[in-house]
Amino acid sequence: MSSLGRILLGVAFVALLLSFARWSPERFWVSVVIQMLISGLFAMSLDLLVGYAGLASLGHAAFFGVGAYAFALVAKHVSPSVAVALPGAALAAAIAALVIGVFSVRASGIFFLMLTLAFAQMLHALAFGWIPVTGGSDGLSSVPRPDVGVSGVNLFLTSNFYVFVAVVFVVGALALRAVVNSRFGLALAGVRENERRMRALGYDTTRLKLVAFVVAGTFAGIAGALQASFDQFVSPGDVFVTTSVTALVMVLVGGAGTLAGPVLGAIVVVSLRTFLADQPLVGARWETLLGALFVLTVLFARHGLIGIVRGGLSWPRSP
Amino acid sequence: MSVEQFVLQALNGLAIGSLLFILAAGLSLVFGMMDVANLAHGAFYMLGGYLAYTIVRGSTSACFRASIDFWIALLVVPLVMAVVGFVVAGALLRPLRGKHLEQVLLTIGVAIVLADLVRACWGGEVLSLPAPRGLDASVTVVGQPYPLYRVFLIAFGIALAIALWLVQERTKLGALIRAGVADTEMLAALGVDTERLFAFTFAAGAALAGLAGVVGTPILGLAPGIDDTVLILSLVVVVIGGMGTLSGAIVGAFIVGPANTFGALLVPEFALAFIFMVMAAVLLFRPAGLLRR
Repeated sequence: MSSLGRILLGVAFVALLLSFARWSPERFWVSVVIQMLISGLFAMSLDLLVGYAGLASLGHAAFFGVGAYAFALVAKHVSPSVAVALPGAALAAAIAALVIGVFSVRASGIFFLMLTLAFAQMLHALAFGWIPVTGGSDGLSSVPRPDVGVSGVNLFLTSNFYVFVAVVFVVGALALRAVVNSRFGLALAGVRENERRMRALGYDTTRLKLVAFVVAGTFAGIAGALQASFDQFVSPGDVFVTTSVTALVMVLVGGAGTLAGPVLGAIVVVSLRTFLADQPLVGARWETLLGALFVLTVLFARHGLIGIVRGGLSWPRSP
Repeated sequence: MSVEQFVLQALNGLAIGSLLFILAAGLSLVFGMMDVANLAHGAFYMLGGYLAYTIVRGSTSACFRASIDFWIALLVVPLVMAVVGFVVAGALLRPLRGKHLEQVLLTIGVAIVLADLVRACWGGEVLSLPAPRGLDASVTVVGQPYPLYRVFLIAFGIALAIALWLVQERTKLGALIRAGVADTEMLAALGVDTERLFAFTFAAGAALAGLAGVVGTPILGLAPGIDDTVLILSLVVVVIGGMGTLSGAIVGAFIVGPANTFGALLVPEFALAFIFMVMAAVLLFRPAGLLRR
């Protein structure tokens, strides 16, 4: 397809996405798609680490949670203005990612996985214990929706909030796309494929990984801020290991190493949770299905659902 | 804190440490041998605990038999969990051999499925199991009553540690295990069927998690989420002590157990955060754990 065609197709897609709240047949669907977009942004940010840098993190909820709590605190106590609360959340998540990243990116493989898990659990314990600030296990309620500063536009209305989330999602996705297609993104893929060779070529691979970690953490923080304002509530669950695991499931089920994959994974996970929960037969067991799907993906579809769409299954070598 | 209080808290710390040792021994064995951090270890513990609950509660109608049933659970549950572990290793991990990260990720999926199935079978409410008859009494320690079951747990942990150490040092199986931890490739070159050894190792790890589930449930109780709690604590123990060594599991467990108990007493809100800080520090400065060169 010509590049002009691609651009037109992209613009048409974005227009459809942004206007979904207007043409959606049911109001309920709007809330569902909001959740898909927030989870999709979160999963894309994790994929920058898992798929592009080759660093499987089990602690990405740390930055989602820091973003959510920072947004809630700033919006409640400083200003709900979108120009203050959202950058505040992103900055807080970036700083958290910088601190944790400095320690974590020195490790790789299973050790990286466990270090990120440990740091995230540390923050979870903090969210649980630092009651005067975080509200402990009760969390923080009545978190305001952001104020966009345009008179008459009230984000407490779901259809308006949808447009806001969709805009943030599109901007975030384009930014992440620019990152992975940049020289930096290519260097990152080089680190994933052969770190020693990249070092021999003169790249400071530790710094590359640290930058990736901070970028991923920042976008996770933005997703967390969106979640906090969507739910109007934050709790230690946002920082818990299950949140990290769910994001990792989204990335791997959808397809790591692509940006569309994690979004597809988010759509699958949110759909399972939303629609299967109502089904009498399998309803309560949607997590079993999700876990089984995850196991099958790891075993048979290295490139996730996106990989199946693009080129069939990759069976593991027979024993 | 008075001396009496200190002694009782120290005993509590040792009891938790004992439980953590049983958990960590299984996790560490699997990691040392297969280079796989089994993230379904907590789910194995949970399944073991719920199975024990059913076996023990299932026949409380005859009060006398309840105490026997706990001991039956202590034998049966590890066997059942060994089968579960054997199946997971043989059917799911084996096709991914050599790909350690994929294997770790796969255990996450196993954990999700097991946790959900446990919820399907036993529901979501908090369950508790009384200490078995004969062990439900109190003993007097420094003039204070102290639950006998916790003393039993400490003794059980120590006995198991000695037994495992004897197996590791004095038997042919132990020699195989030590060789596997040290150099799997060499072992394979010597003609040992390492695939089978891996499957048995994973089964043994699952059996230890199930055993911990049986003896831990009278203290910790059962509820959804216990799998995550237990997994994370045992990961911390294994990381602090060093993976793949029995002595590492012992040292780690008896650092984390008391640290948890005293931490909860001194800084109730930040006890857990403190433990993770210790773990992060160990990972940074001694990535292979305290006991490895």
